[in-house]
Amino acid sequence: MTTHRDYGTGPPDEYVEAEIHRMLTEDPAVAEQGITVVRRERALVLSGEVESAHRREEILRRVAERFPDVPITTDIGVIRAQAPTEIEQLP
Amino acid sequence: MAIRIAAVGDVHMDEDVVGRFRPALEQLPGSADVLLLAGDLTRHGTEDEARCVAREFGGLGVPVIAVLGNHDHQCDQVPQVVGALEEAGIIVLEGNGVVLDCVGGRLGVAGVKGFGGGFAGRCASDFGEPEMKAFVHTTTESADRLGEALQSLECDMLVALTHYSPVPDTLAGEPLEIYPFLGCYQLGQAIDSAPTALALHGHAHHGSERGTTPAGIRVRNVAHPVIKQAYSVYHLGDHLDQAQVSGVGAGGIQQPWS
Repeated sequence: MTTHRDYGTGPPDEYVEAEIHRMLTEDPAVAEQGITVVRRERALVLSGEVESAHRREEILRRVAERFPDVPITTDIGVIRAQAPTEIEQLP
Repeated sequence: MAIRIAAVGDVHMDEDVVGRFRPALEQLPGSADVLLLAGDLTRHGTEDEARCVAREFGGLGVPVIAVLGNHDHQCDQVPQVVGALEEAGIIVLEGNGVVLDCVGGRLGVAGVKGFGGGFAGRCASDFGEPEMKAFVHTTTESADRLGEALQSLECDMLVALTHYSPVPDTLAGEPLEIYPFLGCYQLGQAIDSAPTALALHGHAHHGSERGTTPAGIRVRNVAHPVIKQAYSVYHLGDHLDQAQVSGVGAGGIQQPWS
């Protein structure tokens, strides 16, 4: 993975966004392709859904570890796994 | 009688997820004839993770048929992954098919992981650097194997199972820029080359559930983050009332079929 060398203290730039996005997939501790990274005015917002609360915590831990100076907001849910209550009929 | 198909993809199993699906899966024998798994069964494609899949999805009382996804290739342990799944009785398809005798008729399922490449008019071409040619060859070879498998099955109802998407419809919600990494039109072409009744895929977590191929065959994205339940259930049958197309069974899946 390309390393971004200067995180600075201002708002996160596009390269940091790109690096975090790749890290979410390429870091073996995360390996998520379904997390969206959106650059807002004051922070990067990570959103999406994962299979367990443990994985959500791991994403937050790894991103904070790698990018301690980047303000991050997260909105990551755990996907429900209940039995369906409806079927679809396909003639 | 209808043929009842349960399906889910992208369950990304590891130790931390084992047990989450099981309560819903225990209901399958009463509500479905088969469970289809549309790839990305594991996080990194390790044998240990495949054993988690085997624990969760094995011994269900209904046949389980799977294709692998890109995550299942990450650690280059595909033979071990397939071995662990097959030990648990899970049928793994890659360019081949299987026919099951169900109460509602013979169900044929042809499966392949598939690959990216993009969709008609906006796709990669077999041209230029060797890397690009290799990419497109992977796409076309995969689609060709699916087409051959679909055409080879003798059955009453034919279903195509892939990880990558055969149509752009079910990618709605994903950024347009990544469509070429989410599927390819050649898979749709393969599905349209046979009398396929339904095509199921995963991979696109932010996509949408419903679409059709250019020939009008129904496509469903069953990626877990899309369906937001343990699995979806589809009833296939020629005799079903047209007014019920894509309708919802009143009373849910517990209601006996009539």
